[in-house]
Amino acid sequence: MNDNGVNEMSKRLRAVLEPMKDAGLKRDLWPDVLRKMDQRGARVPWFDWVLMAGLGAAVLLFPRLLPALLYHL
Amino acid sequence: MGKHTLLRAYLAGICVPTIFLLVVVMPGYVLLREVYHFSIPVERVIVFPMAIVPNLWGFWNVLYVAFLAKRRFPIGLYGDALIFILAPLGFLFARILDLATAQHFVFSVGPVVLPVGLTLYYLAWKYLVGFLNAELGLANV
Repeated sequence: MNDNGVNEMSKRLRAVLEPMKDAGLKRDLWPDVLRKMDQRGARVPWFDWVLMAGLGAAVLLFPRLLPALLYHL
Repeated sequence: MGKHTLLRAYLAGICVPTIFLLVVVMPGYVLLREVYHFSIPVERVIVFPMAIVPNLWGFWNVLYVAFLAKRRFPIGLYGDALIFILAPLGFLFARILDLATAQHFVFSVGPVVLPVGLTLYYLAWKYLVGFLNAELGLANV
């Protein structure tokens, strides 16, 4: 396709595709980003740490559990 | 509810077991069979974790988002309940597919596997599915 063809195609595409209306942001998103950054990470309660440790210990003590667990995950 | 809420809930639900299957389970099976020459009928074993488990997780999460998310029911406990459906189903599949190894495992580690499974499901649902639900805006729909 030569330059004329490209220009013609470009014109036709512009004619067919209407320019976007309201393309700009409706509100400033930066405060949301700052708020998200300020949020502290999810806190894990001590009870869940105990469960995680128990889970790890169980797998170490009973490695035969692994196939059964893998089968159900 | 927002747009395609239940579809998003389904996708959030299937995400965890699907990734786990791809990253942990499949390489594990391949390693056992090809490297250690451990006799595992992968084609039969993989049916349950590949086809049933992710879909049940997805539908379970759909039910959670549809009925319980609004009431702030603890998702960890809700996820735990799924194991009481999946465990018998898994055993049934093992019997149907004649997986003697799987049946043997169930009986040999039976008393220990249930509390460990409950713990694993509780943590996975609370932290992984809960996180995905929150990211997809499904936490309080």
